[in-house]
Amino acid sequence: MTFDEVVAIIVRSLMISGSATALASVWSIPTAMKLVMSDSRASRVLIDVSNALTSMPTVILGLILYLVLSRSGPLGSLGILYTPIAITIGQSLLITPYIISLTVSLLFEKRREVWETALSLGATRWQAAATAVREGAAQLITVMLIAFNRAIGELGVALMLGGNIKGFTRVMTTAIALEVSRGDFSLALTMGGALLTLTMLIAITTRLVSKIL
Amino acid sequence: MTQPHRLFITLTLLALIAVGAVIYQQYLTQGSQVLRVATTTSLYATGLLDALGEAFRKSHPGAVVQFIAVGTGEALRRAEMGDADLVLVHAPALEAEYIAKGVLGEGVIFAYNYFMIVGPSEDPAHIAGKDPVAAVREIYRAGELGYAFFVSRGDESGTHVREMTLWRLAGLEPDGKSWYLETGSGMAETLRVANERRAYTLTDVGTWLKLEKELKELQPLVAEGDILLNIYSAYIVNQNKNNELARLFMEFITSEEGQEIIREFLPMFRPIGQDTIEELRQRWEWLKEV
Repeated sequence: MTFDEVVAIIVRSLMISGSATALASVWSIPTAMKLVMSDSRASRVLIDVSNALTSMPTVILGLILYLVLSRSGPLGSLGILYTPIAITIGQSLLITPYIISLTVSLLFEKRREVWETALSLGATRWQAAATAVREGAAQLITVMLIAFNRAIGELGVALMLGGNIKGFTRVMTTAIALEVSRGDFSLALTMGGALLTLTMLIAITTRLVSKIL
Repeated sequence: MTQPHRLFITLTLLALIAVGAVIYQQYLTQGSQVLRVATTTSLYATGLLDALGEAFRKSHPGAVVQFIAVGTGEALRRAEMGDADLVLVHAPALEAEYIAKGVLGEGVIFAYNYFMIVGPSEDPAHIAGKDPVAAVREIYRAGELGYAFFVSRGDESGTHVREMTLWRLAGLEPDGKSWYLETGSGMAETLRVANERRAYTLTDVGTWLKLEKELKELQPLVAEGDILLNIYSAYIVNQNKNNELARLFMEFITSEEGQEIIREFLPMFRPIGQDTIEELRQRWEWLKEV
């Protein structure tokens, strides 16, 4: 594997998993807010479901989505199987329960300090929730970071939905799996080291940025 | 007081960035014809397919060939679901089954090599130089006595299918035996397991030659016998999305130029010659039946 190829794979992984994290946040954070706000029996059950879904094996999610996106599946006409879009969608679904569960516990904590105060000052419920989110922005970024790390480090979805196509859907984890199956352990370990260094750098940068916030 | 809509604007911006990034990725292959080839792992892991793909791209600019490397069994199943235009496989019996089902259309033989049984150097089951079917019988006997282990792919790959044929011809059923280990992984991993456990296994010669140096505990023991012939074929999937390109690629790998590339991979893979093709066809017919 050439140096250029490795760089392209790293950039591709960042784009796919970054997009997946951004997309998942779009629906997960408001869902978490809604769940905390209503605080009914139904929402508590949903929170349990979300917690349980964090144990979803990635390859099972990959398989389910494969059957959906396959040309003979219900969404086959979209023709997005074996494309970066398919991986992005798969990873965003994979990390949705993570973001919901972590945001919910974060908001329950903020609820006591910020939310009730905001409500007592005459804010509407959504305004109060938005304030809690704003107050917890630094932790929320950590939540998104954990979700991103889960996405960039997972293999099952990327392999099933992307197909590990060279120069198109090959990401870091599928490249590592390929090198292992090819018997090139040293290249696999190098790629693994690159992946960990990268996530570490992102974690440090995020911490510094969220301090400023 | 923070307004909720501010949060939603942020989230919407995030969504737009995400969608933009994804569409950009998608654009990179837009406008070119895409051929999806589901292929067996041995062809891919040895680097042969990348070499063929690169040469094909040179003579057909604008064409994009995407290889999806899975075992033969999975490649055929994906073809059946309509997710591949072309398959490159090496299990005559399975191929015949999918031809009969109407999944596979026209096909050609484009390369061949051999399987072999490798095992620990001291050869506890004494199989060295024996006929393959006699060899697995000896392994079974030694296994039952506790002298030997056998590692199986267990993944419906071409190699696994051939191994099952050997057991069937020997009239034996190793499934569930304590000395019979199924890895469910690729050839390289399976060879490594055999190496660590000092066990016997069936391998294709390509993967073996690539890893031979690292597999210090193992050595080839049985490499002679018609039943060990390994024939690689390409088939156009009937329900394909790019018939023209699939046909071009199939013609390319059997062309003078394509065969020359395969020749460079000797002895991992052997090209087909004018003189061998007829015999390979007959052998394929025979392998399909046994």
